[in-house]
Amino acid sequence: MKRLSALLLMLAGLAAQPTRAQELVLTLSTREVAITSTYTGADVTAFGFIERDVRSVPRTEPFEVIATVQGPVGDIVVHRKGQLGPIWLTAARERFARIPTYFAVLSARPVSEIVSHENAQRLKLSLTDYLPPIDTLPPDEITAQSEFRQALLRLRAEEGALHIDPKAVTMVRPNLFTVKVNVPGKAPVGLYVINISVVAEGIVLRTAQAGFVVRKVGFDAAVADAAKNRAPLYALITALIAVLLGWFANFAFRRD
Amino acid sequence: MQIYLPIAELPLSLFLLLGMGAAVGFIAGLFGVGGGFLLTPFLIFIGVPAPVAVATSSVHIAASSVTGALTYWRRQALDSRLGAVLIVGGVLGTALGVLFFNQMRRLGYLDVIITLSYVTLLMSIGCLMFVESIGAMLESRKQQRAGVAPLKAAPEKAWHQRLPFHMHFARSKLTTSVIPVVGLGTIIGFIGTVLGIGGGFLVVPALIYLFRIPTNVVVGTSLLQIVVTMLVAIFLHATISQAVDVILGLVLVVGGVIGAQFGVRTGQTLKGEQFRLLLAMLILAVGVRFAFEIVGKPPDPFVISTVEVER
Repeated sequence: MKRLSALLLMLAGLAAQPTRAQELVLTLSTREVAITSTYTGADVTAFGFIERDVRSVPRTEPFEVIATVQGPVGDIVVHRKGQLGPIWLTAARERFARIPTYFAVLSARPVSEIVSHENAQRLKLSLTDYLPPIDTLPPDEITAQSEFRQALLRLRAEEGALHIDPKAVTMVRPNLFTVKVNVPGKAPVGLYVINISVVAEGIVLRTAQAGFVVRKVGFDAAVADAAKNRAPLYALITALIAVLLGWFANFAFRRD
Repeated sequence: MQIYLPIAELPLSLFLLLGMGAAVGFIAGLFGVGGGFLLTPFLIFIGVPAPVAVATSSVHIAASSVTGALTYWRRQALDSRLGAVLIVGGVLGTALGVLFFNQMRRLGYLDVIITLSYVTLLMSIGCLMFVESIGAMLESRKQQRAGVAPLKAAPEKAWHQRLPFHMHFARSKLTTSVIPVVGLGTIIGFIGTVLGIGGGFLVVPALIYLFRIPTNVVVGTSLLQIVVTMLVAIFLHATISQAVDVILGLVLVVGGVIGAQFGVRTGQTLKGEQFRLLLAMLILAVGVRFAFEIVGKPPDPFVISTVEVER
């Protein structure tokens, strides 16, 4: 937790740094999403203000905003099934190490219309931008790899762990916006980083970061903590609960 | 109403879980089995991670077998001496099972192993029981026509009695070597821990057909063994795999306890062979459901299986 707080402070510092032409000021509706027994996911809203000063280059087109949300990193394995006699089992697998286990791309219209492919890659607007490049591999491996990567994107999107929403950004004023971040109930606990970029005429003017933490609190935190740090006690209590409930049921419903 | 499960780390509907616990409890009470072979697949199906589903099922099985074992204990319908020897093997098998479970989980083979084992185990046991109960039904019809019950000639000395370390189990009317009994306990403990099942549907036929133990003590003895091995499984799964979700377990047990009472009442109206035929069909149905997952070309050749989050 200490490490997380330090990271948060650092991120808050980054967001408030003095800038060149445009300044981007960010704030979040909450710094902490608390998981309680009734938790089913949460909404976090980022508010942003684009400050212009005399040095700002005048633009004919309005500002546009692209946000990405990265959850805690983890390893994800994609299996490809192959035929073995009459049954289908995993024939090949690919481990994608240390990629965000929750990832969202949020904007006001499809990002491909806002920035060029190169800029999208620089801003890491796809989950695959977090993976090592594959262009140096032999051609046949590239085909296999890109198949696995496509499957990764598709399956993560189906699971709700990869969320692309071209309607999540609202420009309230030409220089004032909100970004709605939806944290699904299944998303893992940990630190979530929001990267917000301001774009005009296809040029990335400014990028800022903000972060929030998803953590269990109260009873759920106590249970999870006990299961991890006091495992023998947790085990004994669980076993005791099972025996007592079983005994109670026998006692309550006995008919002889 | 959704409830957040702190170890499984996802919210699920409280009523769905209670209903599932009750449905499995009903089947368990009806057939005198733990119901783990239904519960674990159900839990995996609704999105609980496989390790948590397997580990938490042991809580449900432990509770329901405590209820059952107490009933048989009061009726003196269990052989605690035989149960104790089975438990010795069961604890050994459970420990081996948890180690194997974690090794496979680390290597990422756990899901495949669980699916394959379910298919082979359920299909073979289901088929055996199906054939046996049909045979028994035909047999009893033939006997009714002939009017005389044929005496089954018991062999002088069964294979298991030729091994060393004999022990006498008075209530089971059996004197045999402890080696096959401990061995049976070990196998059941191992399978039970890896698959999240009690193994009652394996122990009961084994005791009846291999050791020819009177049916009236078999179920109670098997329940006694399941109670102890499942308690050991809870402990080991919670300390080593850290995958036991106490909240999920609690909700399932509450549902299960209620369902089991209705199951027991319904079960008393069924005849022996009918009962075994129904159980066989149920086991086969679950086996077929699992088989469909791996037989035939899958609609999507890609699956995501493990998500290990760094903390």
